[in-house]
Amino acid sequence: MSDSEQTSNSAAPLYGVLAEYDTPTALVKAARKVRDAGYRRWDTYTPFPIHGIEKDMGITMTKLPWFVLVMALVGMATGTLFQYWTNGIDYRWLISGKPFWSWPANIPIIFEMTILFSAFGALGGMLFLNNLPLPSHPLDLKERFRRASDDKFFLVVEASDSKFDDKETRDLLGGTAPVVLEDVLEDRITSSVVPRALMYSMVILGAASLVPFALFAQSRSAKSREGRLHVVWDMDFTPAYKAQEGNILFGDQRAMRAPPLGTIAQGHLEEDDHMFTGKVGDSYAIGLPSSITATEATMLQGKQQFGIYCAPCHGLGGEGNGMVNERASTLKQGWVPPSNLHQQYIKEQPAGQLFGTITNGIRNMPGYAAQIDPDERWAIVLYLRALQKSRAASVDELSDADRAQLK
Amino acid sequence: MSEHTEHTGDDHGHSGSAHGSGAHHELTDSLRLNKADLGLSTKAFAVGGIALGLAVVLGGGPFGKQFQHSYLTAYMWGFSIALGALWWVTLQHLVNARWSIVVRRLAELMAQGVVPMAILSLPLLVPVLTHNDTLFSWLDHEKLHHARSKEVYLNPSFFIARMAFYFVFFIGLAAFWLKKSREQEKGGGVELTKRLQSTSAPTMIVLALTITFCAIDFLMTLDPIWFSTIFGVYYFTTCVLTFHSTLALFAMWLQKKGHVTSAVTTEHYHDIGKMMFAFIAFWTYIGFSQFMLIWYANIPEETHWFKDRLEGSWLPASLILAATHFVIPFFGMMSREIKRNKTTLRFWAIWILVVCWFDMYWLVAPNLHKHGMAIGATDILSWIGVAGLLMGYVLLRAKDTTLIPTGDPRLGRSLSFQNI
Repeated sequence: MSDSEQTSNSAAPLYGVLAEYDTPTALVKAARKVRDAGYRRWDTYTPFPIHGIEKDMGITMTKLPWFVLVMALVGMATGTLFQYWTNGIDYRWLISGKPFWSWPANIPIIFEMTILFSAFGALGGMLFLNNLPLPSHPLDLKERFRRASDDKFFLVVEASDSKFDDKETRDLLGGTAPVVLEDVLEDRITSSVVPRALMYSMVILGAASLVPFALFAQSRSAKSREGRLHVVWDMDFTPAYKAQEGNILFGDQRAMRAPPLGTIAQGHLEEDDHMFTGKVGDSYAIGLPSSITATEATMLQGKQQFGIYCAPCHGLGGEGNGMVNERASTLKQGWVPPSNLHQQYIKEQPAGQLFGTITNGIRNMPGYAAQIDPDERWAIVLYLRALQKSRAASVDELSDADRAQLK
Repeated sequence: MSEHTEHTGDDHGHSGSAHGSGAHHELTDSLRLNKADLGLSTKAFAVGGIALGLAVVLGGGPFGKQFQHSYLTAYMWGFSIALGALWWVTLQHLVNARWSIVVRRLAELMAQGVVPMAILSLPLLVPVLTHNDTLFSWLDHEKLHHARSKEVYLNPSFFIARMAFYFVFFIGLAAFWLKKSREQEKGGGVELTKRLQSTSAPTMIVLALTITFCAIDFLMTLDPIWFSTIFGVYYFTTCVLTFHSTLALFAMWLQKKGHVTSAVTTEHYHDIGKMMFAFIAFWTYIGFSQFMLIWYANIPEETHWFKDRLEGSWLPASLILAATHFVIPFFGMMSREIKRNKTTLRFWAIWILVVCWFDMYWLVAPNLHKHGMAIGATDILSWIGVAGLLMGYVLLRAKDTTLIPTGDPRLGRSLSFQNI
């Protein structure tokens, strides 16, 4: 600070009286005196925080928590209502069979919004309560005051305090044994408004931050002949070939390469014709393949698979009266009914043929090779045989217990 | 205190840590329990013993279904206090905490509660040894058939082996912290204190794992099909909550009896209250995370656990849990003034101890009462029983030590501690 500056400010009115101390203890003692004298507009300045000095200064609890609480509740409400509106009203989209508005899924966002708004409340409230930003302060002009951030402790009573009196206040501070007692004048040099350049750049930045949103709004409402914007070029146009594309590097010009003839994927070697085609040589196999055994477990597996894949059309009992058939018959749209599996010609078919029919389909019935594994198809064949038997068994073939039940 | 402090005060190397911000504090409080105080220990033992005896009778014998479930609820509640104390003492060493020194001895004593808890675990462990599936249905192989692969983990011998490890570790650690803390008084000073900090780091890892698996073994295996990887953390939040609540009540009781009157101040209560408040929120965070992922994925083997708790009178019970364990205490404890006022802090400490019991009940009881909540005399008597025996033992252990670790070089910092 130059002398000329100080001179030009010398006519300024009094801002307050400054007392300087060497130790925090002296400052705390002085603060208690000023507090007890009933002053309101005064402050202390120290190079480091002194715990508990707020009590010595008579400072009451800050109102900041209320700012935070109110903002937290606003954030919570915003998160709740916005998600309610987007999920429940504006853009209803069924996700995994849950209600359109499923509040548990919203909690994380509500939580984040609560935290975000609380942080805004804490920051904004702190700036507001501290009168920040403060472009100028009379103490900035005091050369001596710079040591408040180094090794000196200050106490300033402002002239605007209702209790301030030129003589009494000086006497009071003089009685606290300060190292220095000086006047502080109002700042008539530094502009008290925020610098123009800073204002303008903030306005420009603020306006610029709206540009992306304006572009979004524009593109949502206007039509365009242009293709869409490719923000990440590499990902939209990858050099890798995709399925079904052409590639002139190969003779057949296909990007997808066929495996060499005779290639078999691991675990797909299907050597046993009986097991995988139901045929032995050119004729249908009579019994089950060697890897399938007629056990209780296989029977249950067959029952389950039959219930899933066959029963909808053929019916749970195999009479050709499944729910699909019942419904299709009432519609009368040229429905070819599924076969009753208890017909003599089907009962006479060898097991391999039944397996073949399930595998490849017949007439209207599609093949089920893609849905049902071979061992499960054989289990169905086994179950079907049991079903057929259940309609044609003689009394002699029953166990004693079953016969007893019939009586 | 006086001798040691004077010594460290003269010693330049130590003086910094024994002083607060400029002010020097002399500890003139009463630091030992007297005969009259110990009467409470006897009373607690008597009340606890009688209550537990009645619970056994009312609950259908020691291996009756009702008693086993009521007892497990009470047991896990009591265990959480001792485990919380053990964790907290380890944490204070780990982070070189200064504010907490004046109440650390109380926590060290509360951590000794793992000793009675080890003995009290017998009614739960004997059925495991005898393959009695009253409580743990996985002891019956038929009931485990959906989760056969879990047999590797869920079998009586491995279960008992794990329990043995947990209790040896817990008891050993609790004894270790108390012993070392008392060694400080004989003059271990800064060197010993630093060593304890190094020890606490690996200890904390083992402790985290043992508490987690302990919670899984005692509570999660009640339903051998169900699993939740966050379950250990869920139980841990209960440990922290019940511990801090009990710590606050313990210190208040001591001050009422004329001990540690000037050492434990509003500032310390405020910090204990902050931990209670923080873990109220953390419990909700963990509990809801557990619920939301299971609700969203909607996989039968996970969902049924919550379905059990959201049907019949369990639905209002779950809602009451959410309200009393989160909404009400969260807003109730939010204010700084409430945490700095002994009367209100005492109210919330008792509140938390009650709702944490209800949380344990909510975890255990649906296993027995599938179709609706039914809190009975056996539940309450078991709770009083475990609480009484635990309290009696901890007070008894407090007999031979000072109530403040007077040898800790950071004691001055704790005495002069101020919240900003």
